[in-house]
Amino acid sequence: MGHPKPVKPLRLSGSQPFTQQIGVYMMIGERTNVAGSPKFAKLVKEGKYEEAVSVARQQVENGANVIDICMDEGMIDGVAAMTRYLQLLASEPEVAKAPFMVDSSKWEVIEAGLKCLQGKGIVNSISLKEGEEVFRQRARAVLKYGAAVVVMAFDENGQAATYDEKIRICERAYRILVDEVGFPPEDIIFDPNILTVATGMEEHNNYAVDFIEATRWIKHNLPHAKVSGGVSNISFSFRGNNKVREAMHSAFLFHAIAAGMDMGIVNAGMLEVYEEIEPELKLLVEDVLLNRRPDATERLVDFGEALKLAGPTSQKRDVGHPELWRSGTVEERLSHALVKGIDTYIDVDTEEARTKLGRPLLVIEGPLMAGMSVVGDLFGAGKMFLPQVVKSARVMKKAVAYLTPFMEAEKAAQLAAGEEVKAQGKIVLATVKGDVHDIGKNIVGVVLACNNYEVIDMGVMVAAEKILERAKEVRADIIGLSGLITPSLDEMVHVAKEMERQNFRVPLLIGGATTSRAHTAVKIAPYYSQPVVHVLDASRAVPVTTSLLSEDGKDEFVAQHRAEYEAVRKQHSAPKLSVLPLEDARARRTPIKFLLEDLAVPGEYGIKVMEDFPLKTLREFIDWSPFFHTWGLKGLYPRILDDEKQGAEARKLFADGQKLLDRIVKEKLITARGVYGLFRANAVGDDVELYTDETRGEVVEKFHFLRQQVGRDGDKPCRSLADFIAPRETRLQDSIGAFAVTAGIGVHELCEKFRKENDDYNAIMTEALADRLAEAFAECLHKHVRNVWGYGRDEKLTPQELIAEGYRGIRPAPGYPGCPDHTEKGTIWRLLDVEAATGMKITESFAMWPGSSVSGIYFAHPQARYFSLGKIGKDQVEDYAQRKGWSVEETERWLGPNLNY
Amino acid sequence: MRKTQQHPLEKILEKRIAIIDGAMGTTIRTYGMTEKDIRGERFANSTKDLLNNGDLFSLTQPKMICDIHRRFLEAGADIIETNTFGATSITQSEFFVDDPREHGGRKDPEFYQKIIEDSMLSGLAWEINEQSAKQCREWADRVANETGRQRFVAGAIGPLTVSLSNSPDADDAGFRVVTFDQVLTAYKEQVRGLIAGGSDLLLVETIFDSLNAKAALVAIREVFDEDKVTLPVSISAAVGRGGETLISAQTTEAFWNAVKHVKPLSVGLNCSLGPDLMYPFLSELSEKADVAVSAYPNAGLPNPLSDTGFDLGPEDMARFLGGFAKDGLINIAGGCCGNTPEHIAAIAKALEGVAPREIVRDEVAA
Repeated sequence: MGHPKPVKPLRLSGSQPFTQQIGVYMMIGERTNVAGSPKFAKLVKEGKYEEAVSVARQQVENGANVIDICMDEGMIDGVAAMTRYLQLLASEPEVAKAPFMVDSSKWEVIEAGLKCLQGKGIVNSISLKEGEEVFRQRARAVLKYGAAVVVMAFDENGQAATYDEKIRICERAYRILVDEVGFPPEDIIFDPNILTVATGMEEHNNYAVDFIEATRWIKHNLPHAKVSGGVSNISFSFRGNNKVREAMHSAFLFHAIAAGMDMGIVNAGMLEVYEEIEPELKLLVEDVLLNRRPDATERLVDFGEALKLAGPTSQKRDVGHPELWRSGTVEERLSHALVKGIDTYIDVDTEEARTKLGRPLLVIEGPLMAGMSVVGDLFGAGKMFLPQVVKSARVMKKAVAYLTPFMEAEKAAQLAAGEEVKAQGKIVLATVKGDVHDIGKNIVGVVLACNNYEVIDMGVMVAAEKILERAKEVRADIIGLSGLITPSLDEMVHVAKEMERQNFRVPLLIGGATTSRAHTAVKIAPYYSQPVVHVLDASRAVPVTTSLLSEDGKDEFVAQHRAEYEAVRKQHSAPKLSVLPLEDARARRTPIKFLLEDLAVPGEYGIKVMEDFPLKTLREFIDWSPFFHTWGLKGLYPRILDDEKQGAEARKLFADGQKLLDRIVKEKLITARGVYGLFRANAVGDDVELYTDETRGEVVEKFHFLRQQVGRDGDKPCRSLADFIAPRETRLQDSIGAFAVTAGIGVHELCEKFRKENDDYNAIMTEALADRLAEAFAECLHKHVRNVWGYGRDEKLTPQELIAEGYRGIRPAPGYPGCPDHTEKGTIWRLLDVEAATGMKITESFAMWPGSSVSGIYFAHPQARYFSLGKIGKDQVEDYAQRKGWSVEETERWLGPNLNY
Repeated sequence: MRKTQQHPLEKILEKRIAIIDGAMGTTIRTYGMTEKDIRGERFANSTKDLLNNGDLFSLTQPKMICDIHRRFLEAGADIIETNTFGATSITQSEFFVDDPREHGGRKDPEFYQKIIEDSMLSGLAWEINEQSAKQCREWADRVANETGRQRFVAGAIGPLTVSLSNSPDADDAGFRVVTFDQVLTAYKEQVRGLIAGGSDLLLVETIFDSLNAKAALVAIREVFDEDKVTLPVSISAAVGRGGETLISAQTTEAFWNAVKHVKPLSVGLNCSLGPDLMYPFLSELSEKADVAVSAYPNAGLPNPLSDTGFDLGPEDMARFLGGFAKDGLINIAGGCCGNTPEHIAAIAKALEGVAPREIVRDEVAA
């Protein structure tokens, strides 16, 4: 009755999903089982739950896929212990990732466990021991809570020992679960009882075979069902002889897994690698397990005795990896511990930092706060989740707790010396009147309390008078207001006004889902003369609070904060320019009628590299005016040389520049390299597609352009660089070019040399000249390209006319006004393989390296012209995001200065 | 356990994208209601402010609430939600019972046990749920008759003001203010009220804490079993930047694994950080889930400086949800916070005639 459908894997979850890989044995961590681990049992009995949590953490770190948790022990209150332990694990992000197996022989303990699992766990176990009715009831309850279930092969008559009993009971249970209860078959895990072999009782000899064969039968006949078992049972006869036991476990697993066993409970430390079992031992063990000869048990027992006599050979395997992070500096270690939420070494590291920095407070305001800032950054970037932030705060609390006695001692000493002592900061928190939401505020409270602040949490729906009354009464250092719904914003304004009226002097913090920095700056802060600071999330509460309460850092923080909010207010009050909807802007594209005769066809398409371009040639193309601007002289070359005021200075600079340039050219101190390419292209919307060949079928790259959208009154066109390339629908065959040049190779070395000789003047001069040479290179190359393109051959322009750009075509650069998106440089780099051709690189922020480099895109249409994009609307940002394959947020980051909102 | 016949809504979801309504709170605020209006005579002497207890409007200003339901239906909503996001004894207690923290006390299971046993609160919760469902029923049927298109009432079950996953105690990560059983009791009352009022389906929504949601799903199962009724169940989570439920930090696929056993009519995302930030997680859910997928995001991020309090207008939402639909991600579309009837109308228009996501069910084996 085999079935052809693929087996559905077991899917579980903690805070992360887990999907079984069919055929790969699942690891179940069993050290958190009081029956299997005396150490764990002791911790639970003594109420040392925190240490008990670290046992679970180790299991996850060592690769367990599922954590088995069992509290079945006479001296332990199972329901209470299970609940408490699982609630603690839920707050331990590294552990909470994993699915849990709630393991108990008592149903009420299982149910208590199920009430603590946000994910999909496994119940271990139910069976037909107490009859079908109880079995059905419990199965329905398991399904109700959404867990998978281990079904033990028991029935009203007891445990199934033989193959026939095992398959009969499992099939019966399966039919009830699937047909009557509606239990997903892939979530049923049978445990057909692994029983001890080699007991000396003949009827036990086939137990391993019975299990293995039952497994095989289940996997063939009960679709999607899984098989598990407690492996260490098999070897109980050899207690005290780990070498034999380890070999038995792995040989048994080897055969059971081959038969389809999916998972099992086994101490990983009690497992030999199958391939590494000594051949003789392996043979003996397998004889026993597979029941291959009547004297198998005796032979293994004899061998085992001999082994014992030979002494303990089984060495403790070294578990756990050397912790690399421990080798960093103390600052790095503290930061790591906070980010990862590890408290194991926090006392040691905090002490080291205290000794190093001298004062306990410096440890808090220094490395610990730096670590919490990292946490804040990661959270803000969506790379850490809230429970992890809270966990980090709890580690912080431990560090602070370690430092507290030292701070007390310091305080006592200060008091004795008659100095003024600053008390621990007090913060009054409340969700404002009218709003009942405070889960987020509670988290802020926990995080602040963990950082040694005294938090007075007034709860929800708190009226302004009450907040302010309490703040006065306890002499609060800061007041924090929270709210989730929009109307709370007005209430916060009211609180701010009241604080002003009552002459409060303490900072006011604003937080909650609908609050924002802009709203705080524009609508709340103006009503209160003390700092009013928006706190984005719980992870930001501590840095802000610490800065506001720090003796040394407060002024700077407040000054910076005020400047920022002032800027926000200015931006907000600036009149918004009218935005044309993107569709309308597109309808007003640059009015160009594309004619065949206006489209120049290059003599040759493709990429050309300019190795070591002669500096002597470039020199003729230099535009000298910007050279003087570099030095702070305003005016145009050559007139500036005769300027009344600046003339003398300009002449000297020019002479020095020429002198150095002579030397550079003569001694080849700088190398100029470049690359350009010409490509077949057509515009498609606001993109330009570049094609591999004349069929124009395959797109090699795309340039993405933006379109003017704001302040285009009357019938001014809304330009985009894409307008200068014939649209694909015209069927005209247009072209586009791109280039990248540098005159920066060797500049760094030359500058260094001057600096070493304490000649800063010539170092700066070198850079100024290299910049000029790079621009000259761009101009010179453009001239060359126009010739190649054909339309430039008849130009009769002097270098001065060239500099004035009195020719046809343009070469806008990404990052400049017409095309402000720097990332389009990336397209040029890929297109021309710029780095391989010239050694020029682009950094993560799309800056070019070395300096003194220029890159751009060539447009040849007679009507192509430079323009400035200006501001754009949100609709275009979204459209552009889609074209670039970015999120809107990312797009807004790259186009920040151009956003009209 | 085999389903004998398909629910009519289930059939619709295979044929077209069904529209669910927008934000009750945002829309209520456009009516300019005052504290006096929400109190009416019945709550005139209440000691705490009630204006933001929007569910109460279903009792004190039924005309306005019904007007909003009608407008959403006329905007093209196939499904309207009851005005019961906070209609549990636990959430209502925030508006009617003194917060012990004001006097230096704390909220803990002992406190919430009193709430659960408070007959005024449970009576009120029942009444809101039943009344709101009745009001929705009436208008859904009226507009259905007028337009010849069946409309559905989703009994809305919100996330509560307490978390089963999080400890507000800095010294004890294992502490919880409330127990699973207390939450379960409160949800069971709500479920019964919603069913009594005539809901077509139950919608567990804005899930930021998966354990709270599990309690709601267990409550639904228990009510179904005890009262011998069955309705379709829809499930919708609120996720952050990493696709995790906002408070309990469960990732999208992990969440689906944890609720799949309910065999919901649909699973999806709502609220959250707006449509663009939701996209990757919706896409993941759409790939994993073998049931209908819903999306009703906020109108972007909260922006207190804009007119509706949110970034996106009707056309923006229409464009985003149109994008979801075009990419074959959804069977149900609508809006959460910040979405008015105008938003829903724009979304309905944009999705007209667009094919829904194909629902590929895991066939029931064995």
